[in-house]
Parts: sequence; structure tokens; C-alpha cells
Amino acid sequence: MTAQSSTYRPRRFRLKWRHLTFSRFMLYLLLTLLVVIAGLPLFAMVCRSLMPLDELYIYPPRLIVHRPTLRNFSDLLTSLSSSTVPFTRYIFNSLFTTVVTVLLSILVCCMGAYGLSKHHPAGSNAIFAVVLAALMFSTHVTQIPNYLVVNALGLVNTYLALIIPKIAVAYNFFLVKQFCDQLPDSILEAARIDGAKEFRVFWTIAMPLLKPAWTTLAVFSFVSNWNDYFSPLIFISSNALKTMPLALQTLSGGAGVVARAGTVGAATFLTTVPCIVVFAIMRGKVMETMSFSGIKS
Amino acid sequence: MSASRKKGKKMGIDRKRSLEAYIFLIPWLIGIIVFFAYPIFTSVRLSFSKITSFKGLITEWVGLTNYEYIFFYDINFVPTFLKVVTDTLLNTPLCIVFSLVIAILINRKMVGRGFFRTAFFIPVLLGSGYIMKQLLGMGVDGTTITTGIMVPKLIADLLGTSITTVVQSFLDRITVVLWKSGVQIVLFLAGLQGISGSLYEAARVDGATEWEMFWKITLPMITPIILMNVVYTIVAFFTDGTNPMVDYIYKMNFTNQMYENAAAMSWVYFVFALILCMTAILLMRRHVYDSGTKN
Repeated sequence: MTAQSSTYRPRRFRLKWRHLTFSRFMLYLLLTLLVVIAGLPLFAMVCRSLMPLDELYIYPPRLIVHRPTLRNFSDLLTSLSSSTVPFTRYIFNSLFTTVVTVLLSILVCCMGAYGLSKHHPAGSNAIFAVVLAALMFSTHVTQIPNYLVVNALGLVNTYLALIIPKIAVAYNFFLVKQFCDQLPDSILEAARIDGAKEFRVFWTIAMPLLKPAWTTLAVFSFVSNWNDYFSPLIFISSNALKTMPLALQTLSGGAGVVARAGTVGAATFLTTVPCIVVFAIMRGKVMETMSFSGIKS
Repeated sequence: MSASRKKGKKMGIDRKRSLEAYIFLIPWLIGIIVFFAYPIFTSVRLSFSKITSFKGLITEWVGLTNYEYIFFYDINFVPTFLKVVTDTLLNTPLCIVFSLVIAILINRKMVGRGFFRTAFFIPVLLGSGYIMKQLLGMGVDGTTITTGIMVPKLIADLLGTSITTVVQSFLDRITVVLWKSGVQIVLFLAGLQGISGSLYEAARVDGATEWEMFWKITLPMITPIILMNVVYTIVAFFTDGTNPMVDYIYKMNFTNQMYENAAAMSWVYFVFALILCMTAILLMRRHVYDSGTKN
């Protein structure tokens, strides 16, 4: 329980502004500069969604919008309303597949990681080696054989094609396993002595203790699944089943199309909003997890 | 598992635990076998063969022909590959040093610590694939978003073109690195939290300066995290969606439909990433501080 105790580390002294010395001032200046750079992508994205077309193609490229306009958004709405599938359908598709994927992935990966970390089954080293190797593979690389598998299972053009292949993810497994290793065995042992069945131990003891791990995972997983553009592009051809990022990109003409470059900006911005919302909600939890209990290997 | 049936209730505790573990692992294992292991082996097979029929994926063994093709006939593969390799070799150390410095800075007690920690994490949210790709390549004729904003015109005129180009490309690189080091910063923060305060206390009593404490305490204590971050960074750069090599393999697959060559490319690429990670681990292992706790 080192994680818990360090969370409640008492503050040794209170900070006040009068401690502001020259070196501290320089520190703030440097950090602010770095934060500005780090925030640049977000800022640029918002600006580009507000830029009129002529400003988008000006040279040298502009970062800050001079004459903001909502034209891009209204253009996007127009092209959306002209499509045969209502826009809400895309939102539903995206939300449904993402949420189901995230929930199932968390459950399956936590179960697996718990089994591997706390039971040390025969062959656990081999399994862990597979996980480490899998971390290094980009999903794009195995996309063709993956398509063949999904096709053979008859999942092409169904929601399941967007969900099932993304449940057993090596990265999620790795993250939960690192946390699971830090759980003291004694707590689990105590529950077992009290007569709890193994699944009950997992569900009522291990899962609550692993909460920081899987809330973090939920955010990561949500962001990556929501933004996933490749799997719907490959597995889905029916318009009614497209997810939001794909639908928005195809409707607005995709990257590189000059006439609708503004709408692409607006579409990109809209796609990111849910991720930012999810992160804002879970922010405290994620930062706490990542910086206190640590993913220490 | 067949042995457990025979022994019945006398099943050893180890075997029982093992069996339980596999019940927990089964859903995940099925997933990883069907959607990772099998595709991987198919892709190995593909890289050494030629598809004769797509129905049932009937292939014919052709040995190293595909590898020969990508190295000697494909004009784009080798330059792209080399570019990615040099980029990774340059960016990884930069990324590690940068994120370590930032982590140490925001690990101090200061006003707005929470804000800074969150702010450095934001690019991670956008950085997953498509959106970042659009942002990086959104200017006209491939100019990046960073161009034209980092070096003000006045300074550029004073310095002359050649120096400005160098400075500019350096700044571009720094910016991209900073956008990609959100996770590393957080991991370093976790590592810094783990260093016992009493070490610093003792050093301070002995009259050590901040600078000495960094080299003698912080750096040695944080070596395990550095190693982990090096591996993580290499993997992240290699599998990134904005990576030209990944892009090229994708194009090879879906635009050119040369599946066998694409498979060969991804294997050359993967094996190289693996070698790089292994080298990093071997080089650094001797210097990694071992606290004696076993994982």
C-alpha cells in the first residue's frame, strides 16, 4: 500500500507568492514557454477550425486566426444534412463501439493480468514475452492478416468488427499487470481464507484496488479507440455503420482536398472534443495514478 | 490439465492455481491468439511467399524474393527506412533528456504544479494518430505547423539563411519531441516520487549542492525509469501513426496491394526495432540501479 500512503504525504510548508525569487521567476517563465509549445497543437486546431479558406492557404502558414468565422462549421452542417444517414447515427456508432470496446477490454485485460500476476501459472514467462513483443508491433502492420481473420469470422460490416479485435490489447494488459504486481498477496490470501471463491476475490478485492490502473486505462483506451480511423476504414463499407471520425473525414472531403480544407479543420476539432471531455472528467484520477503509484517495472 | 482430472482432489496447490490462472487468462489469450499471434504468423508466411489465390489464402514459397525486392528494387523503402532510423536515434535521447528535465522542474513544490502536469499531458490526447498527422502536415507544400512561427523574421534576417535553417530544424525537432513526451514526463514524475526524501536530507546535511544531488542521487536512482522510458520511446516512435515508414507500409498494402512486400517490409522494420530495444537494454543494464526489490 505504498501507493496510498504517499498520496497523503503531508505538506511541509505552504507556498506563498512572496517566495518568488529571481530563479523561481525564470523557472516559471521557462515552464510557461514550454506549456505554450505543448498547448500549440490544441490551439492550432481550434484556430484552423475558425479560419476562412483564404487564410488557410496563406504563405507562410498562419497559426493565429485573423478573421475568425464559423463558416466552416456551417459548411460541415450543410454537407452533413445532405448525406442520407442522419448525423446522430454516426455519433451513436462511435459512442457505442468505443464504450463497449473500452469496457470489455478493461474486463478482459484486468482478468488476464490478475491471473498472470497473482497466480504465476506455468508458462507465464512465455505469455509475458508475447506481451512485450506485441507492444512493439504497430497495428497497421498486421492489418491485412487481421482483415482476413475478421472476414473469415464473418464480421465484416458489423459492429463486432470494430469491437472484438480491439479487446485483447497488449498495452492494456502490460499496464494492468505492472500495477497488479504491486498488490500485496496478503490481502488476496486473507479473502481466500475467509472462503471467497477466486472470481469473487478478483471482483470485490482486486478490481477496487486496481481502480487507479483501469481508470487510466479507460481514458487511454477511449482516446485511441475513438480516434481510430483505420479499422472502420477497412472493416466497414456500409454508410450506416461508419463511425464519427471516418464519417466526418469522408464528408468533408478528407485531408488534402483544397475546397473543403476548412471543413476538415472543423471536423477534426469536433472529433477531439469527446476525448478532451473524457480526460477532463478523469483528469484527477489519471494524474494521481500515473504520478503516485507509478508504473514501475 | 488432463493430469488434474486423474489426481482429483489431491491436485497440488500449484497446479490448482495454474488452472485458475488460465481460466482468468482464457478470454485474453483467445483474443491475442486470434487477432495478434495468428496474423503475425500469417504475415511471416506472406513475407516468404507469393499469393496464388486469395480464396483461402493459398501461397507459394518463394524464399527471400520479397526481401530482395524491397532492398534492391523498391526505390522508396531504403531512404524511408533510414530516415525513420535516424529520426528515432536523434529523437529518443532528446526526448529522454527533455522529459527528465521537465519532470524534475515540475516535481518541485510550486504554485500551479497541477496545472503544469496536466498541460504537458495534453498533446498525448491529440497525439494518437490521425489528428496529429493532420496538424503536422497541414501547411501548404508539406511545411509543418512549426515553420514560420518559431524564429521571428527579424532574428532570421540578422542571422542569415544557413544558421536560421539549422536553428529552425532544431526548434522543429524540439517541438515535435515535446509533443511526444507527455507519457515519459509522467513516468519520470512517478520515478521521482519514489526516491526517498531522506537521501536528499542526508546529502544536504553533508553540504551537497543541488547540482551534486542531481548527479549523485537523482540520476542513479532513476536509471530503471530511464531504461523503461528509452524502450517506450523507441517503440512509440516506431509505431507512431505519423511515422513515414508505417505510412509507406500501409500504402503498400492498401493502395499498391503488394501484400507480400508489405509483409516483408514490416518484418525488417519490426526486427530492427527489436534490435534497437535490445541494444538499449544491454548497453544500459550495467548502469541501472538495482534497489534489491524483486518484481
